[in-house]
Amino acid sequence: MESDLPDTRTRWVLRGLFVTFAALAAAFVLDLWRHPVSSAVIPPVDPKFLDTATVRRSYADLVRAKEDLSDFDCYGCHERGKPPVLAFDANHNLVVPEVHSDVVMGHGRHNRNNLCFNCHDENNLEVFQTRDGRELKFAESPQLCGSCHGPTLRDWDAGVHGRTSGYWNRSAGPIDRKQCVNCHNPHSPKFPGRAPAPGPHLLHPVETTAVEPHGH
Amino acid sequence: MPLPDSSAPLTGVTRRSFLRGTVALSGVAALAAALAPLRRLDDYTTVERFMQKYYKELTPDEMARVLARITSEVEREYGVRPHVRDLKPMDGVEFVYALNLTRCIGCRKCVHACVNENNQSRNPEIQYIRVLRLPHGSLDIEKAEHNYAPESVPEKGYFYMPVQCQQCKNPPCVKVCPVHATWQETDGITVVDYDWCIGCRYCEAACPYWARRFNFAKPSLPKDRLNPEMAYLGNRPRRQGVMEKCHFCIQRTRAGRYPACLEVCPAGARKFGNILDPDSEVAYILRTKRVFIQLKEEMGTSPRFFYYFDV
Repeated sequence: MESDLPDTRTRWVLRGLFVTFAALAAAFVLDLWRHPVSSAVIPPVDPKFLDTATVRRSYADLVRAKEDLSDFDCYGCHERGKPPVLAFDANHNLVVPEVHSDVVMGHGRHNRNNLCFNCHDENNLEVFQTRDGRELKFAESPQLCGSCHGPTLRDWDAGVHGRTSGYWNRSAGPIDRKQCVNCHNPHSPKFPGRAPAPGPHLLHPVETTAVEPHGH
Repeated sequence: MPLPDSSAPLTGVTRRSFLRGTVALSGVAALAAALAPLRRLDDYTTVERFMQKYYKELTPDEMARVLARITSEVEREYGVRPHVRDLKPMDGVEFVYALNLTRCIGCRKCVHACVNENNQSRNPEIQYIRVLRLPHGSLDIEKAEHNYAPESVPEKGYFYMPVQCQQCKNPPCVKVCPVHATWQETDGITVVDYDWCIGCRYCEAACPYWARRFNFAKPSLPKDRLNPEMAYLGNRPRRQGVMEKCHFCIQRTRAGRYPACLEVCPAGARKFGNILDPDSEVAYILRTKRVFIQLKEEMGTSPRFFYYFDV
């Protein structure tokens, strides 16, 4: 018969189509297309970037934490009633004695606020002296700083300069104020730089639109 | 069963019956494929969540049941029992944020403290704050760069401007929402009801600050980083297909605390408070500082987020 050959062929084509459709049906049911690409996994951020601690710790913090205060025991080494003598080099820069080598003198851009006794009292090293003659304890550093940095002290008093944490609503709880020395090193007060936390992770790399900084 | 055609070959399958079978099979397959997402229905909604009323229409009893549902859902998924509350705005309080551009060093700690506080998705990444780096001498946002990655910040010749939801007094995002799933509360915070949002993203398009984020995928965060202190309109875990945004840490600020981004800022550049209280920090700033800009002031959005400079 003439239909013999087409029948065999039809049979195979039909079988092939059946398999194809069955496979497609299975693929639809299993939803094989749901997650076509898996993007790179972003690692959790380093917990150090979540830390709310201040850069430094003030004398008051150390007292509260009952830590070693031997650095503040001036008359363990110095002799009472005998003001220390300061040494200067040829350029009028203070020569920091070796025992105080941890002190970096960098107060002010011109580097000329380099006399220890602008703030420390040479006659009683365990207190501060202001230029207007007040005597202040180590824990009262904001008043000392404010004796020169008046507008900043005014802002600090209003809670506007410096760090705050706790409660904005004073009736709900206390506000935690930090002192100048929690952030600024009094001998070198410029706020130090630090590594930034990771930026946004982009799905696709983009060309950065870096703009040259304005002339300075 | 009589064969449709007596002259059919011995295969037992005619062209016609095969085509019928194929059409029926592919029909069933297509139906199954179309219904496949139903197998993951729990990811999208439950009967309880589907039947839940609009936030503003919930009675206190109904809200208590909703909070109990969220608590058990979170506990099941994260293994941590959260403390979910529905905190209401306080009388005589309008929140304002002030950011000192002189102090910001661009360290991005606020970005990550926010993510940690508000249970945003880590993969894919959702962040409410974007820190822009701008060259000195300009406030042209076109010159901003947010992918900066130097070894140390601040960099010479640049300043940094973190941008987040500006909590506008005249919010364009609220106007475009077709289902009122986002609105402005009396304390100035624009909130989103994640159970009412339909995910149309109109608000994202309307916001001139790019402050709104969409959950394209199911949010994922490590269980040990979940913040269990939650609020309904705040940081409770979101699901796929809804919008989210900065809400001034509603779970903290309505309980009287400062927002997380403020507490983590090492430079003290961020200030927050009640502008209706003349003794607040923000009132002092707006009164005495050079409050330089409300970002994109010309849009008429009247942000409650102010950028200022010292000196």
